Amino acid sequence: MKKGANKDTELLELSKSIVTNRILINKIKQGLQKYGIIIIFFFVFLIISISTPHFLTKRNIINILRQVSMVGIIGCGMTFVILLAEIDLSVGSMASLVGVIAAFLQVVKGANTFIAITFAIIVTFTFGIVMGLIITKVKVHSFVVTLGVLSIAKAVALIISKGHPISGLERPFRFIGGGMAGPIPIPFILFIMIAILSYLILTFTIFGKYIFAIGGNIETSRLSGIPVDRTKILVFGISGLMAGISGIILAARINSGQSIAGEGLLFEAITAVVIGGTSLFGGVGSIGGTVIGVFLLGIIRNGLNLIGVSPFWQKVFNGALILLVVVLDRMRRRIRVY
Amino acid sequence: MIKRYNIIRKMRNQWIQILVEKYMMLLVLLLTCIIISIIKPVFLTPMNLTNVLRQVSMIGIIAVGMTFVILSAQLDLSVGSVAALVGALASGLQVRSNLSTSLGVMIPLILAVVIGLISGIITTKIKVHSFIVTLGMLSIARGFMLLYTGGRRIDILIPSFEYIGAGMIGPVPVPVIIYLSVIIVAAYTLSKTRFGRYVYAVGGNAEATRLSGISVDKIRIIVMSISSFTAGLSGIILSARISAADPAMAEGWELNAIAAVIIGGTSLFGGQGGIGKTVIGTLFLGVLTTGLNLMGVSPYYQMLLIGILIVVAVVIDRLKRRLLM
Repeated sequence: MKKGANKDTELLELSKSIVTNRILINKIKQGLQKYGIIIIFFFVFLIISISTPHFLTKRNIINILRQVSMVGIIGCGMTFVILLAEIDLSVGSMASLVGVIAAFLQVVKGANTFIAITFAIIVTFTFGIVMGLIITKVKVHSFVVTLGVLSIAKAVALIISKGHPISGLERPFRFIGGGMAGPIPIPFILFIMIAILSYLILTFTIFGKYIFAIGGNIETSRLSGIPVDRTKILVFGISGLMAGISGIILAARINSGQSIAGEGLLFEAITAVVIGGTSLFGGVGSIGGTVIGVFLLGIIRNGLNLIGVSPFWQKVFNGALILLVVVLDRMRRRIRVY
Repeated sequence: MIKRYNIIRKMRNQWIQILVEKYMMLLVLLLTCIIISIIKPVFLTPMNLTNVLRQVSMIGIIAVGMTFVILSAQLDLSVGSVAALVGALASGLQVRSNLSTSLGVMIPLILAVVIGLISGIITTKIKVHSFIVTLGMLSIARGFMLLYTGGRRIDILIPSFEYIGAGMIGPVPVPVIIYLSVIIVAAYTLSKTRFGRYVYAVGGNAEATRLSGISVDKIRIIVMSISSFTAGLSGIILSARISAADPAMAEGWELNAIAAVIIGGTSLFGGQGGIGKTVIGTLFLGVLTTGLNLMGVSPYYQMLLIGILIVVAVVIDRLKRRLLM
C-alpha cells in the first residue's frame, strides 16, 4: 500500500518535471523566435563593422538611416497588408508614381511643395482604396490585382514623365529627403513617427484587432460581425498612402521624379516584413519586428555595398533571401502549431 | 407541362451562355482585327500579318506554359527572367564557349527545367503560394543573367542559331512553327492525357484530388517545370531573333503572358480554361499591340492598357463564375 502510494507520487513528480521541461523548452523556443532576430542583427552588425572601417562613420550611418526610412515606411504599410494574409505588389511602382506626379506638379506646373505632395499622395491613397475595393468586392486574391495596378502605375508614371527624370525640385521639397533635424535625418524622423503610429493602431485600436482577427481566420471574423471588407479596403488604402510618403522622400532625395526610382522597394519591403516575424499566412506579426527587419536588411545592403559586392550579386541575394525567409516563416509556423 | 417548358428554356439559356462564353473572345478578336484593318489597311498585308505572328509566338509560347500553371491554380512570375537567363546562356555558350548550336540550346533549356523544378518543390513542400516563390526566383534568375553577361550585350552572329529566330520554312517563320507545335503538344496533353486531367483536377479542387489518391505536389512541380521550359524556349527564340542577349530582354513578359491567359478566359481560380482560349487571348493582345504601334501610340499607353486589361479580365472572370454557378 505504502509502496503503491510512493509510486504514484514518483509518477506525479516525473510527469510534473516533464511538463515543466516542456514549458521551459517552449519558452526558449518562443524566446528565440521573438529575440532571435535581434541576436542576428547584432551579429551581422559586428561582422560588418569588423570587415569594413567605413561602416561606422557618421556619414554612413546617416546614409543608412535615410535608406532604411523609405523601406521602413512602406514596410509598415506592408505589415498591415501581410497581417491580413494579403500582398501588395504595387508599392514600388506606386512610390515611383508619387515622385513623378509631385515633381511634375512642381517643376512643370509650378505648384508649391505642399500642394504637389498632398495631391500626389492622395492619388496613391485612392489607388490603394480602389485596389481594396476590387479585391474585396470581386473576391480575388490581391496579388493579381496589385500586379495589374503595378503595371498601370508604372505606365502612368512613364506617360507623365515621358520616360525622363523630372528634376529641379524646390528647396522645401528637397528638405524632406535631405534635411536634418539636429543630428537626425528628416526621413528617419518620419519613419519613426509612422512606425509608432502604426504600432499604436495595431495594438490599441479596434481596427488593429480586426486586422489580426481577419488574418487569423477570415471566416470566423466575418461570422462574428467584423466588417472584413471595410477593414481590407482601408488597409490597402494605408499601404498606398505609405508607398506615397516613401515615394515623396525618395523623389526629394534624388531631387527628381523618376519612373523607375522605386523599383527595388517592393522586394525589400516584403523581405523586411517577413524577416521581422510577420507571417505570410496572416494573423501573426508586429510593427516592432518589421522595424528590426528593416534595419537588418538595411545594414546588410549597406555592408554589401561597402565591401563592393556587385549589384548583380545583390539581385541574386535579394531573391534568395525572399525564398529563405519564406521557408523560415513556414518552419516558425510549424513550431507555433503546438 | 409548364415546368417542362421552363426546364427546356433554362437549358436553352444555358446553351446560349455557354456559346457566348466559348466564342466571345473569338468575336472580340475578329472585331479588333476588322477595326484595325479599317483604320490602318497596312495591317492586312501578308508581310505585316507574318510579322504579327512571329511577334506573338514568343509571348505565346510562354502563355501556353502559363496556362498549365494557372489551370493548376498557381502563378509563375519568374518566366521573363528565366527567358532572359536562357537566352543569355544560349548566346554565351555559343559565342564564348564555342559550343555547337544544338548543345548551346539544350543546356540552357535543361537549366530552365531545373529552375522550374526548384520553384515547384519549394512551393509544394512549404505550402506557400507560388507567386512569392517565383517572385524570388524572378530576382535570382535576372541576377544570374546579369552576372553571366556582366550587364553587357552579347552579340551572336551564328547563322544556325539565328535561323531559329529569323528563318522561314516556306512562307512560315520558324518561331511560328515552333509556337504551333508547342500549342499542339500542349493541347493534346491537356485534353487527351491523364496528366492533363490531373492538372484540371488539381486546379478545380486540390483537396478532393489529393483524397482521390493523386499526388497533387507532383503535378504542381511538373507544371512549374513546364512553364519554366516554355519560358526558356521563348528566350532562345528571342535572342536568336535579335541576334544578341540583352540585359533587359524579356523584362516584364510575365505580365503579358498572364494577361494573355486571363484575357483568353482561363480562370485564375484554377480548373477552368484551356490552350485554345490562351491562343485567342495571345492573338488578341498581339493584334492590339500591333494596331496601336501602327497608329503610333506610345508603348507606355500599351503598358497601361495591359494593366487595365488584367484587372478587367479578373473582374469579368469572377462575374462569369457567379453567373454560371
